Amino acid sequence: MTTVLIAEDDEDIRDLVVFKLEQAGFTVIAAPDGTAALAAAQAQTPDLAVIDVSMPQLSGLDLCRLLRADPRTAGTLIIMLTARSQEGDVEAGFSAGADDYIVKPFSPRELTSRIRALMQRHGREEARRSEALG
Amino acid sequence: MIQLASVTIGVLLGISTAAALLIAVLRAARGLRQRRRAERAAAPRRALLALAAGGEGAPELEAVAGMPDDAWRAVEPTALDLLAKVRGEARESLAEVFARRGVVARALRDLRDGRPITQARAAELLGRLGRREAVPALCSLVADPRAHSRRGTVTGVRAELRVVAIRALGRLGDPSAVAPLVSSLGGADPAPSQLVAHALIQLGPDAAPALMTALNAPQPLVRMTVLDALGRLGAAGAEQRVAALLHDDPSPSVRETAATALGRLGTGSALRPLLDAANSDESLALRASAVRALGQLGAREAIAPLTALIASPHYRIAHEAAGALRRLGSAGHATLRELAGRSGTDGAGAHAREALGMAELTGQR
Repeated sequence: MTTVLIAEDDEDIRDLVVFKLEQAGFTVIAAPDGTAALAAAQAQTPDLAVIDVSMPQLSGLDLCRLLRADPRTAGTLIIMLTARSQEGDVEAGFSAGADDYIVKPFSPRELTSRIRALMQRHGREEARRSEALG
Repeated sequence: MIQLASVTIGVLLGISTAAALLIAVLRAARGLRQRRRAERAAAPRRALLALAAGGEGAPELEAVAGMPDDAWRAVEPTALDLLAKVRGEARESLAEVFARRGVVARALRDLRDGRPITQARAAELLGRLGRREAVPALCSLVADPRAHSRRGTVTGVRAELRVVAIRALGRLGDPSAVAPLVSSLGGADPAPSQLVAHALIQLGPDAAPALMTALNAPQPLVRMTVLDALGRLGAAGAEQRVAALLHDDPSPSVRETAATALGRLGTGSALRPLLDAANSDESLALRASAVRALGQLGAREAIAPLTALIASPHYRIAHEAAGALRRLGSAGHATLRELAGRSGTDGAGAHAREALGMAELTGQR
């Protein structure tokens, strides 16, 4: 079963995303800040992480960079979920290593669809790589 | 004497121990109250999250719309917060609950209540819910003569109410709010201009015709705020009028704002008036605004004149010209590199090197 980490300091949004993703059949790990999210990711290596940018202790962008730098979590797919919608913010998210970027206010249904699409695309790429290798 | 001191110390110790105990008891009681409240809210909150998560529809909606009043009171703040954080089906479902529970009808009544705090709460709610039927009442709050005291100044709580009403009108996005919003900038106590500008921008492109009319207002603050809104809206068709204000307006501040707005409008026809202003004998502030706007315009035709302006003896003009070239992308950067590579210690080279350094820092190269 696909495991998703949600790193979000806003309790309402965190609980809503957890509810929606569990309803959609994912196993969900929730973290209220960047540091807790990093620890959870290193311990449980989720398939995908949904990360808020503005979080206490460790920002979402720094968390993203640390996940990419750690061999255990370098392959985790990352979606940034943030209220920062300027061109530069989106660019910074992708530069930090995000695979997708969703701006708040967001649609819980769309978030689920994007997670599924990203997982499928990633699965296809993995399969293609395996085939090519032998 | 020693005895008196011992008694005093004893009394003080007793008081501090009692105070510490009282604080501990109060904290425990508050913690207990919060736990109980959270326990009471747990089930309704789950129902609310199920609704916002977009379940199958009717059962989730009924569960929240029909929940007892005390349960609703426990989750209403969360529902209100979520309204601003979600969109699409989730937001529509939440808004439907507010309507079904009679909250909207009550808020519409409360807008005319006369008590500022009740009115402000209603205005905030109706703005978040996107209820356009509230626009006329909100407009009257923005321009409500009762908002003024006998001395003609806006009193604290009334001023706060006006701020909430302006914010709500922006969220509702109804262009009919342009005139009341603009008029809130007039009078002895104008509303905060940035707040009004933000609300005008939120009204969207449909507000442009009314905004163009508002450019005729006699107050410079109104013209500046409206110009700012038109520029940020990217209002197509506003260039000629804005260029006329850049050239003719009696207020230097309005002319500067017009230059910035022309740059934001980003059309080819803005190039000539901005170049004229940049090379005029106007104030340095206006010329600098025009030079900065040339960079925002994104027109390659501006590269040659900017290359000349970077050699200006006026630091501000030369600095803005280098910044404008930096914003013009690869062609502007090529010019900056050429200027930076020239031998000698001329000002143009220094400004070019600074702009290239900035481009490096901001990842524009």
